[in-house]
Amino acid sequence: MAADRTAPLARTVTVARPTVGAPVRSQLRSVALPSLVGNLGFLVVILAIGALYASGGSSARDLLIGDLFVNLVLVLGFQVFIGNTGVLSFGHLGIASVAAYTMALLAVPSDRKTVLIPNAPWGIPEIELSPLAASLIGIGAGIAVAFLLGLVAARTSGLAATMITLAFLAIVRQVAENRKDLTGGAQNLSSVPRIDGWTWPVVGAAIAVGVAVMFRSSKVGRYAVATREDELAAGAMGVEVFRPRLIAFVVSGALVALGGILRVQSLGSIGPSQFSFEFTILILAMLVVGGMRTVTGAIAGTVLITVGKEVTRFLGDGPNFLGFDWPVVDGLPDLFLAGALLAVLLTRPNGLLGEFDLGRWLTRHFVRRPARAATPGSESAPEAGDAATADVPTDPVVSAVAPAGPAPADEALTTAGLGVVFGGFTAVDDVSIRVEPGRIHGLIGPNGAGKTTFVNLLTGLVEPTTGTVRIGDRELTGAPYRRARAGVSRTFQNLRVFPALTVRENIAIADLVAHDHRSHRPGVSVDELLALSDLEHMADRSAATLDYGNQRRLEIARAAALRPDFLLLDEPTSGMSSAESLAMVDHVRRIATAIGSGVLVIDHDLGFITNICEYVTVLDQGAVLAEGTAAEIQRDQRVIDAYLGSQHG
Amino acid sequence: MTQFVQNLIDGLGNGSTYALLAVGVSMLFGVMHLVNFAHGELLTMGAYVIYAMRSNDISWWVAIPVAILSAVVLSMLIELVAFRRVRAASAFTLLLTSFAIEILSHAAWRIGVSSTPRRYEAPDIAFKVVELGPFNIEIWDVVSILVAVACFVGTAIMLRTTMFGLAIRAASEDFDAARLMGVRANRVISGAFAYAGLLAGIAGAIWLVRRGQADPRMGAEPLLKAVIAAIIGGLGSLPGAVVGGLSLGVAEVYFRSWLPSDLQGLTDSFVFVVIAVLFVVRPQGLFNVRTAERV
Amino acid sequence: MILEVDRLTTRYGALTALHAVSLHVAVGELVALVGPNGAGKTTLLSSVVGLLRPANGSVRFEGTDVTGADPAANVARGLALVPERRRIFKDLSVAENLRLAGATVPKSQRKARMEEMGELFPVLRTKWDVSAGYLSGGQAQQLAVARALMCEPKLLLLDEPCLGLAPTMVDVIFELLDQLRAQGRTILVVEQQAQRVLSVADRGYVLRTGEIVAEGSGPELAGRSDLFDTYVGGS
Repeated sequence: MAADRTAPLARTVTVARPTVGAPVRSQLRSVALPSLVGNLGFLVVILAIGALYASGGSSARDLLIGDLFVNLVLVLGFQVFIGNTGVLSFGHLGIASVAAYTMALLAVPSDRKTVLIPNAPWGIPEIELSPLAASLIGIGAGIAVAFLLGLVAARTSGLAATMITLAFLAIVRQVAENRKDLTGGAQNLSSVPRIDGWTWPVVGAAIAVGVAVMFRSSKVGRYAVATREDELAAGAMGVEVFRPRLIAFVVSGALVALGGILRVQSLGSIGPSQFSFEFTILILAMLVVGGMRTVTGAIAGTVLITVGKEVTRFLGDGPNFLGFDWPVVDGLPDLFLAGALLAVLLTRPNGLLGEFDLGRWLTRHFVRRPARAATPGSESAPEAGDAATADVPTDPVVSAVAPAGPAPADEALTTAGLGVVFGGFTAVDDVSIRVEPGRIHGLIGPNGAGKTTFVNLLTGLVEPTTGTVRIGDRELTGAPYRRARAGVSRTFQNLRVFPALTVRENIAIADLVAHDHRSHRPGVSVDELLALSDLEHMADRSAATLDYGNQRRLEIARAAALRPDFLLLDEPTSGMSSAESLAMVDHVRRIATAIGSGVLVIDHDLGFITNICEYVTVLDQGAVLAEGTAAEIQRDQRVIDAYLGSQHG
Repeated sequence: MTQFVQNLIDGLGNGSTYALLAVGVSMLFGVMHLVNFAHGELLTMGAYVIYAMRSNDISWWVAIPVAILSAVVLSMLIELVAFRRVRAASAFTLLLTSFAIEILSHAAWRIGVSSTPRRYEAPDIAFKVVELGPFNIEIWDVVSILVAVACFVGTAIMLRTTMFGLAIRAASEDFDAARLMGVRANRVISGAFAYAGLLAGIAGAIWLVRRGQADPRMGAEPLLKAVIAAIIGGLGSLPGAVVGGLSLGVAEVYFRSWLPSDLQGLTDSFVFVVIAVLFVVRPQGLFNVRTAERV
Repeated sequence: MILEVDRLTTRYGALTALHAVSLHVAVGELVALVGPNGAGKTTLLSSVVGLLRPANGSVRFEGTDVTGADPAANVARGLALVPERRRIFKDLSVAENLRLAGATVPKSQRKARMEEMGELFPVLRTKWDVSAGYLSGGQAQQLAVARALMCEPKLLLLDEPCLGLAPTMVDVIFELLDQLRAQGRTILVVEQQAQRVLSVADRGYVLRTGEIVAEGSGPELAGRSDLFDTYVGGS
C-alpha cells in the first residue's frame, strides 16, 4: 500500500501561463483608484464643512481651517512611513524644520535679511527667490536630509530607529538655536512670504492624500507593509527590509517637508521651537487616534484632534457659553489630547478606524466585481485540481516517469556538511542531503532532532558554522530574502501570514517579487493560486480572520507564488486531523505540479511523510540517521527506535 | 590633568542622576518591554511635593523622604491605571501610552497648579564648594555620587539576595517560566514600578535640592537622557544602565569643556551623533542582552 | 481525584487546539499523556496550570475550581509544571533557580528543601553557584524537575522531559520517574516516547488533534500498536 503512495508528482499540467506584469498592474489600479476617489471625497466633505463654518465667522476660523489642512499634510507624511512600516519615528518634524528653514532663508526679502541675519554665510542675505522656487528647493533639502537619516533609521529596526530619529529632532533644534548667524537663533525669523487663505493648504492636503494612497498601493509600499506585518515572513518571500523602508522614509520626508513649509508660510515666521517634540506628539496623536494604517484613519484622526483641541481651547479660555460662565482652565487642550490618546490606546490600540479605508469600503458596497466564472483562473484551475487528485492513485507507473508540469528546474538542492553549533550545543551536525528537482523529499525526525534549525540554515535565518547550500552550482548565501529570490521559498511551522492584509494581497506580494526576480520560471497567477488553494471565495478577507487550515493553505499559496525552484514546508500538517493531513497530501502535490518545483517537507509525522514523499531523510540528534525511499525508511529499525524509544522491538 | 579629574567629578555627579533613572527604565523594560517616557514625571511629582512642604516651612529632612515616597506611589499608580491594561500590547503601543501619560501629567500640573514655575529656596549645602588641593569640589556632587553608589550597591545586593530580586531577574529572562515558579505577575511588575519609582525619587531628590523650582515639564529632559543612557547600556541590562548613565554624564561634561565657545550649545548634538554612530555599529547597546525570539 | 479536567476547550486565534478534553488523575498515580506533535499536549498542560485561558470547560484541583487561575496561585496550591524545553533561568545560578522556585515555601523550610534537592540530584549539588546557562541538557532537565519539586507539589506535571536529550540521559530521566514514583508522588507526564512511558505508567491517555482518542491502563495502551500507526506509518 505504501508503495503506490510514494508516486511522484502527477503528470497533469495546470495552465501555467507566465504572468507578465499586466495582471499585477491592473490590480494595483483597482486598489489605488477607489481609495483615491474615496479619500479625496472625504477631503472634499471636510472642505465643504470647513467652508461653511468659516463663512459665518472671523478670520480666526479661516486660520483654524488652514491649520487643519496643513496638519493633514504632516499627518499623512508621518502615515506614509509609520503606518506602512510599523516603525515609530519621532524625527520627521526635524526634516520639516530643515525644509522650512531652507525655504525661509531663500524667500525672505533681501532687505529684511540684511537686518535680521546680516552675517549669514553663502551670500544668503543677497538671495531672494520667489516663494514657489524657494519652496521647491526647501522640499528638495527635506528629501536629501530624509535620505541621509533614512540610511541610518531603515538599517536599524524597532526601538533603535525610534531613538535615532528622536536624537535627530533634538539635533536640528539645537543647531537652529545655536547657529544664530544663520537662523537668527531663538528669535523668530519673520517676514517669510505668507500664503493667504487656505487654497495652498488644501492643494497640499490633496497632494498628500494622492501620494499616500499611491504609495500604499505601489510595489514598494506593499513591500514595506509586508515588513510591517512580519519581517521574517517578508524575508522568506524575497522582500528586503532596508530598501522599501528607506524609500518610505524619503517619500514621507518629502510630504512632511511640504507640510512644514506650508505651516511656516501660513504663520509668516519660523523659529527653532516651531517643530518641537511636543508638536511631534500632537501629530502622532492625530495619527494614532484615527488609525495609522489607512489614509482614511489618518484624515479622521487629524480632524478629530484638531476640532477637539479647538473646542477645548475655547472652553479653557473661560467663555460665557450656553448661558454659563466657564472657568479659565490653562492646559485643557493638552488634557484633551492626552485623554483622547490614552483612551484610544487602552481600548482600540489600532485606532478608531483600525484597518478601515473608505476606498475599500466603497468598492465592497457599491462596485460590483465581475462574476467569478468570468475570470480565467477560476475556470481552469478547479479542473486541473480535480484532475490532479484523480490522477495520482490511478497511475502507479508514473513513479518511473519524470514529473511533467511546467518543466521543473533541472538543478538539485544540495547541502554539503551543513552544521551549526549554538554555544557548545551542536544543533545540526554535518548534514549532507540532495533534493532532486521536481521531487517531493521528506525530512523527518523526532521532536528536537534539529529539523527546524536545518530549515533555518537553508533559508539563511541561521548562519551555518560549517558547510554550504547549493542549487545546482549556485551557492546560496546571505540574508533570507536573497535566498528566497535565488529559488527557495518556505512556510513556517507556526503560521506567519501577513495578518492584516487580505488573502489576495498576501499572495500578490510574493507574486510581485517573482515578477522581478523569478521571471525565468513559469508562474501561476494569483487568481489561479487562489482557486487551486480553494481560497477564492475569501480572497478579500483579511488573513487573520481565516481559520487554521485556510491559513496553512494560504501560506503555501504565497510561497508558491514566488515561483521557487524548491518549496520548503515546515510541518504543514501540525495541528491537523488525519483527514486534513490526507487532504494536505493532495494539495501539496497539486501546488508543486502547478509550479513545477521540488518540495522539501519537514514533519514529525512519519505517516504523512511516507504518504507524500518519494524520498525521505531521517534526522535524529542533529545528524542524518537514515535515508532512502519511503518504503525503506518504514522498515528501518533505527528509525522505528528513534520514534518509539529503545524499549520497542 | 587637574581639569581632567575635575571634569570627571562633575561628570559623575551629573551622570549619577541619569544612571539612577536609567536603572529604573531598564528594569521596567526587562520585565515588560516598556520604554517608560512617563518615568520622568516622578521627578515632577517630587518637585511639587518639595515645593509644597518647603513653602510651609517643613524641614528638608521630612520633605525629601515624603517626595521619594510620592514618586513610589505615583509610579505604582501609573502601572495600575494604565500599563496593566496594555501589558500584552506591542512595544509601540506601550511607548505611546507612556507618552500619553507624560502629556497628561504636564496638563494636570498646569491645570492643578500653574504653568509658571514654583520656586523654593535651595539649602546652603547645595552649592557649597571646598578646595581640596588643586580641586574645587562641590559637596553636593560628592553627596550625589555617594548616594548613587549606595543605591547601585543596594540594588545589586537586592537582585542577588532577595526573593523579589530573583523574581525580577527571572521575569526579565522568561516571564511565563517565572509565573510557573510561583512568581505573581501583578506583584513582580508592580514591585518593579515601585522600585524604579524609589530610584527615581532618590535621583529626583539629589537633583531637586539644587534646582530650586518646580514646573510642569521639568521631568522630560532628564528622562530623555536616562532613556538614552539605558539604551547605551543595552535596555534590560541594569549594570549597563549604570555604565550608560555615568558615561553619558561624563561625556557631556568633557564635550562641554572641549568644544569651542560658539559650539557650546551643541553639546547634546555631539553626544547624540556619537550615540547614533554607536547604534549603527552595535544596535544591541554596549551590553549584550539575551533576546528570546523563536522562529 | 486530585485533578479533574472536564471538557476543556482552548483556542489560539483561529485554531482550536483542544476540543472538550476530559481526563483525571488520582492521588499516587503516574499518568502518561501521549500523542503526536501538535496534538495539543502542551496546550493541555498550559491550560491546566493557567498559562493559557481555556475557552470552555473546567479544571478542578483537589475539588477546587482552578479554571483560568493564576499559575503562581496554582503553584501555591501544589500544582507544579515542568515546562517543555525546561526553561530554566540561564542568568541565575543553580541555587538561585531553586531558591526562587521555593518562594511559596516558608523561609524556614527552604534551605532544607534545597538540601534535599542536592541529595536527589547530586550533579546539581556540585554546580550550586554555576550559572544555569552552563548546564548540559540533562543537568538542565534535572534542575527543571528539582525546581518544580521545591514547592513540594501534590501533583507534578512534566512536559516532554526527554526532549532533545541523549539516549543515556533519557534513561536517567526514566530512572528519575521511577524514583519519584517510589516516593509516592502523583505525576502527569507528557512524552514523545509513547510506548516506553506507557509501559511504566499506571494509566495513559492518547491525544490526537486536540481530542482524547484512547485511554486505559499504561501497559494495555502500550500494547495497542494500532494507536501508533500514524506515528510510524505501517510498522
